Amino acid sequence: MSAFAQSRSALANTLAGLRGSPVTSAIAALTIGICLLLVGAFAVLVANMEAILARFGEELHVVAYLAPGLAQEPRDALMQRALALPGVETVEYVSAEEAALRFRAAQPERAVLLDGPEESPLPASLELRLAASERSAEPVRAVSEALAALPGVAEIGSGNEWIAGYAQAVALIRGIGLAIGVVLGIATLLIVANTIRLSILARRDEIDILRLVGASRSYVAAPFLLEGLLEGVLGGGIGLALLWAGWSGLAPMLRGGLLLLIGDTTPEFLSLGGAAWLVASGGVLGLGGSAAALLQSRERSR
Amino acid sequence: MSESADALQAGGGGLVRLFHVSKSYLAGTHALRDVSLELGKGEFVFLTGPSGAGKTTLMRLMFGAEQPSEGQILVLGRNVSRLGPAGLPALRRRIGVVFQDFKLLTRRTVEDNVGVALDVVGIAPRDRKARVFAMLKRVGLHHRRHHLPLTLSGGEQQRLAIARALINEPELLLADEPTGNLDPELTLEIMDLIADAAARGTAVFVATHDHALVSRYAQRLVRLENGQLAHDGRPPR
Repeated sequence: MSAFAQSRSALANTLAGLRGSPVTSAIAALTIGICLLLVGAFAVLVANMEAILARFGEELHVVAYLAPGLAQEPRDALMQRALALPGVETVEYVSAEEAALRFRAAQPERAVLLDGPEESPLPASLELRLAASERSAEPVRAVSEALAALPGVAEIGSGNEWIAGYAQAVALIRGIGLAIGVVLGIATLLIVANTIRLSILARRDEIDILRLVGASRSYVAAPFLLEGLLEGVLGGGIGLALLWAGWSGLAPMLRGGLLLLIGDTTPEFLSLGGAAWLVASGGVLGLGGSAAALLQSRERSR
Repeated sequence: MSESADALQAGGGGLVRLFHVSKSYLAGTHALRDVSLELGKGEFVFLTGPSGAGKTTLMRLMFGAEQPSEGQILVLGRNVSRLGPAGLPALRRRIGVVFQDFKLLTRRTVEDNVGVALDVVGIAPRDRKARVFAMLKRVGLHHRRHHLPLTLSGGEQQRLAIARALINEPELLLADEPTGNLDPELTLEIMDLIADAAARGTAVFVATHDHALVSRYAQRLVRLENGQLAHDGRPPR
């Protein structure tokens, strides 16, 4: 049988099926759309949290406070050893005077604390900046431990605890998102499978007639698979549209909240690839649901 | 290989051969019991018997809708019991089947109801249109090709079913009570179409209760009683 004739016939049968049961098809598409709306909302949330984490990573330093009175020669040697640690990108020396200047600039209302007989009560330090791939809790911890063991280092400071907590929160949300996505995906698959199964039952006579005239299994199955695919893609589009509508309403409020908490930042919607992924997921769900329904309803009889 | 399969392989050139075929749906009961039968090319055979005698079961076995519980069935050179998922559709494309209840696609036009049998064998759209038109003309429905089946009369619906069954020029036509729902005048109209198919070389096997039809058309009569073959030969006068 020619591919053209089969495709033409499958398309005609698919359209006839959709015309014959518009309500059932609409319910299937809407179900997929709502499922993907929730999955998409989690994807947007996780992506934005990851973006914020990456921004903090840019500002992340590991600070090694130096022992008082450390001479230049051992300090230079310490800098070389610190630079050689895995994951360390740059090492910058901050003298006690420069630390005092920074403190005065950052917190002028507390500058009075530095007034006294000493030039600067703050210790000199080394600021280590990590490579982008190492800006997470575990590498920060490893560098901090290695640094603390070096001679001339009095104390280690980093935002490691905060970063670790935040990374855990992102991992938790990502895990919850994934779990919810899987549960919603399976639920949707079952709903779509049952919807298509109803469609198959409603068209059992038609299927019997097709088999009677010698239609192959693939010929009989193709319109149902195509129907599931179309409903799925439509559902993906509905989910994406609902997500965009919700995003348009919520994004200004979200930006205001983020501004208050962590400073100026712009929350991002799904990328073009992410949006395509969401719609394609609908297609896969619809196709999978149809395939499951066909497997369920495949008769032992011929 | 079993004794019956050996016998099938060794047999002559019958279009349909049943060898000691039995069918039971429940243990201890038989819809068919030990039926052996042969149909030759171009034969016009009537199948009769009281209700429940096994006529429909025999028909269903012949086009592979059922599997025999015992025995072997050879149709157009293929052992029906051994056909796989691809073999059975291929065999059915060489068989036309007509039922008492027409079995039409109610949401598709008259033209599409016939065309669907060409679609499954992959006929190009232009050839499809021409062949469907010619077949509809043969059964007198060409002027109604854009109508839906439920707008047709009973006789027209059965003519449409026959057109679908014959469009691929089958070697075998199976008709299960094809005139059971029709009045006497339409019955003759339908039987003339079926007889015409037989005259063109198609082997025809018609199940019926109608003795008048048997008297009028039958060259050979097969009679079933209680699932067993009670008569196979010329119809009694």
